Amino acid sequence: MKNAGVWVGCFIFVFALIIFSTALTYEYYGSIGPGPGLFPLWLSGALIVLSLLYIAESMFKHKISFSDILPRGKGLRNTILFILSFILFMIIVPATGFCIAGIIMLFIVLLPSYKWYLCLGISTTVTLFFFVVFYNLLKIPLPVNSLGW
Amino acid sequence: MESFSLLLSGFETAMSWSNLLYCLIGVTIGMLVGVLPGLGPTTATAVLLPLTFGMGPISAIIMLSGIYYGAMYGGTITSVLINTPGESASVITCMDGHPLAKQGRAGAALGVAGIGSFIGGTFSILGLTFIGPPIAEFALKFGPPEFFALMVMGMIMVIGLMGQSLLRGLIAVLIGLTLAMIGMDPITGLDRFTFGQAKLMEGFDFVMIAMGLFGMSEILIGIENQGKTQKPPKVKGVFPRKEEWSPALKSIGRGTGLGFLTGLIPGTNSVIPAIMSYSLEKKLAKDPSRFGKGAIEGVAGPETANNSYCGGALIPLFTLGLPSSPTIAVLLGAFIMNGLTPGPALFQSNPDIVWAIIASMFIGNFLLLVMNLPLAGVWAKIAMVPAKLLYPIILLIAILGSYSVNNSLWDVGAMLVFGVIGYFFKKVDIPIAPIVLTFVLGGLMENSLLQSLAMFEGDVLGFFSRPIAGSVLVFSMVVFVFSLVSGFRKKKSMIASDIEM
Repeated sequence: MKNAGVWVGCFIFVFALIIFSTALTYEYYGSIGPGPGLFPLWLSGALIVLSLLYIAESMFKHKISFSDILPRGKGLRNTILFILSFILFMIIVPATGFCIAGIIMLFIVLLPSYKWYLCLGISTTVTLFFFVVFYNLLKIPLPVNSLGW
Repeated sequence: MESFSLLLSGFETAMSWSNLLYCLIGVTIGMLVGVLPGLGPTTATAVLLPLTFGMGPISAIIMLSGIYYGAMYGGTITSVLINTPGESASVITCMDGHPLAKQGRAGAALGVAGIGSFIGGTFSILGLTFIGPPIAEFALKFGPPEFFALMVMGMIMVIGLMGQSLLRGLIAVLIGLTLAMIGMDPITGLDRFTFGQAKLMEGFDFVMIAMGLFGMSEILIGIENQGKTQKPPKVKGVFPRKEEWSPALKSIGRGTGLGFLTGLIPGTNSVIPAIMSYSLEKKLAKDPSRFGKGAIEGVAGPETANNSYCGGALIPLFTLGLPSSPTIAVLLGAFIMNGLTPGPALFQSNPDIVWAIIASMFIGNFLLLVMNLPLAGVWAKIAMVPAKLLYPIILLIAILGSYSVNNSLWDVGAMLVFGVIGYFFKKVDIPIAPIVLTFVLGGLMENSLLQSLAMFEGDVLGFFSRPIAGSVLVFSMVVFVFSLVSGFRKKKSMIASDIEM
């Protein structure tokens, strides 16, 4: 359970298996020549074999435990905060608009490193700067709230 | 002579005010990412790729190429001044560059690196100018079987030379190719692997894959390793001593040749010629014991080689459409997004674009020389920007960039998913670069395979009935078997598996 290599290998195996089983439903070779299933079938088939070899290698030869590869202490906290703030951004941005979602995301990411008022200042300045550049100058239709920001 | 006159017309386009500006922006961003440890040209080009939409193909590729070769210059500065390579190609420069800085001779180290980079970069672009067109003309005779064989060779070289493990390299290659299969089948128009998701009908966007696997994963790793910044020493004088000119120029000459030739081989990266050049200089030196203590040749050779590599590496892209490194794969993506297909026909169908890009590289190299020699100290101060501030800002740029591709949050989410996948893959030593390289080639490879099989009426052995395709495939098999055997014997090269190129 603690072997990261096995988990990654299983992830690749499941991915390859899904592609392989789906590829079986496509035509392999038709009247006009090779079909849409030919190449993906061979690719995913080979990937299934290689992922199994990788799992075996991870179990018996090249063991990589989660504790060896995942950060600890501050590093772990920073990484988790980073991913969570990104997910939070994705959830709230349709409702709050880019500016508020961006400020909240950057505030959370910066909080472990700076005092709260500095975080607020930096996140607000940076977000508004990029909002003006992308929304006003580059005319990219960023998600905005009912107030237009 | 024809190349020369076309190059002159390329200069005409490249020297328009807007293209000069994009070239300047490109090389400046390149310098920035080179100076900032942890960021490299692949990440920068991937993150900034969406911003080039709407610029037009010439300006977009001029800017992205500028980032590519500009980063090679920038990486040197932090290697010399604070013993921290800004990008991986400058790792070897720390060996003698930093000891020189400690002796109060940082200016000489940076000066010789700047001059070497300029000479190496310029000569390799000259090589591209004069060698590129004949190769492209020859490649015009190629049919689908030859292209398929070449792509197979490129992939085998990538996993044979780049990775520490053949198994992991092969897995990465197959993942990239499989991801490229998602979306509409180009021949029958059938939706493949979309699982009812309308967003997947056109497949994954190259930008999402590149930004996620290169950009986001790099940001995640950078976030967990936020080191303290170091104050750089002052830079005085930018030229070596009188007696050092001759050995330095000889090293620059050797570095130029070595870098250029290495660039022609798919699957190599700019670290390889730099390391080879260092080892060559040490072997040729009358007193090898000076190396590691501040030998000027130890800076001149490798720095020249990594810049010369850049021009050489563009030849397979421009002439055969084969990306030989991840940054080149991003450039290939930029070509395709702008409606261009790099390959033998590019020199004939879009000469204005090709020659303008080549001409811009001469200009870019000159700009970099000017930016480096007198301003090295200023650039070094940029390395003081703390990672804890830098990465959140890059995150915001990445989000905006991925959103702007299709104005869709789905793409932003896809980037995050690929970022997390890339982060874990890097942690378990599955190389990222082959995934992106093969993803960009997947569609082309499938097309050439299917066309070839249709030509041979389904007979796979038909490839061996064509001399070029057959020879290339046999060569690929030899490389594969050699990689397999050397992998078993654990005599693989010392090159890291997944480095920024």
